[in-house]
Amino acid sequence: MRVTITFFSYFKELTGCAQASETLPSGSTLGDLQKQLAVRFPRLAAMQNSTLIAVGVEYQGRGYLLKEGDEVSLFPPVQGG
Amino acid sequence: MKTSLRSKPKPNSPVKRSSLYRGEEPTKMKRQLTITTEPIDEGGLLGMRSMSGGMGAAVYFAGVVRATEENRSIKAIEYEAYGRMAEHQFHLLFDEMEKRWPIESVRLVHRIGAVKVGEPSLWVEVITPHRGESFAACQWLIDEMKRVVPIWKKILA
Repeated sequence: MRVTITFFSYFKELTGCAQASETLPSGSTLGDLQKQLAVRFPRLAAMQNSTLIAVGVEYQGRGYLLKEGDEVSLFPPVQGG
Repeated sequence: MKTSLRSKPKPNSPVKRSSLYRGEEPTKMKRQLTITTEPIDEGGLLGMRSMSGGMGAAVYFAGVVRATEENRSIKAIEYEAYGRMAEHQFHLLFDEMEKRWPIESVRLVHRIGAVKVGEPSLWVEVITPHRGESFAACQWLIDEMKRVVPIWKKILA
């Protein structure tokens, strides 16, 4: 299963890219993806507890079951206004 | 609603060329959301105010870029949005406002890109029959926006 990941705000600097893709076994969760990303992008690992995750335009928790083609977004706490 | 406003994250018809989103949804409460790179025209927004006879309160708020952040002088703040999700999350908040208060109209403009010191980055207006509802709804909307709407800022010193 392949998913795409988009990084926002300073997560782009931490990862050195705005987008990435990952391949995971079926049945994987967002938590599994986050662990995989932490290995690939060690500077992101330190931010794990404050990272917000969305799939499409909805926030999702670490237990969300990923599907083929999901568009995942990772970003730090929001700061509008 | 899929996203719980309390339990989730802890912490169109374009008018202007550079508007990322501008539109209304056909609900009882009139709603207008604009996320734009253009300067916010407060005078123009006030001039377009529309209130029916039963409405007695129009509260508006302008968030303006301060000259200092964390005791340091700055030149501007650059705002970045995940536009599609920001639009969706704003409309979830508007849905919730409509359930909580007797609001006739809400208008919200959020600027993105570089906003210089002294310029507004946010403008919100809420129209209700009485002032208490307008103040409460306006404050709630801004508080929730700062919690769930994916917009970030970067200081430009």
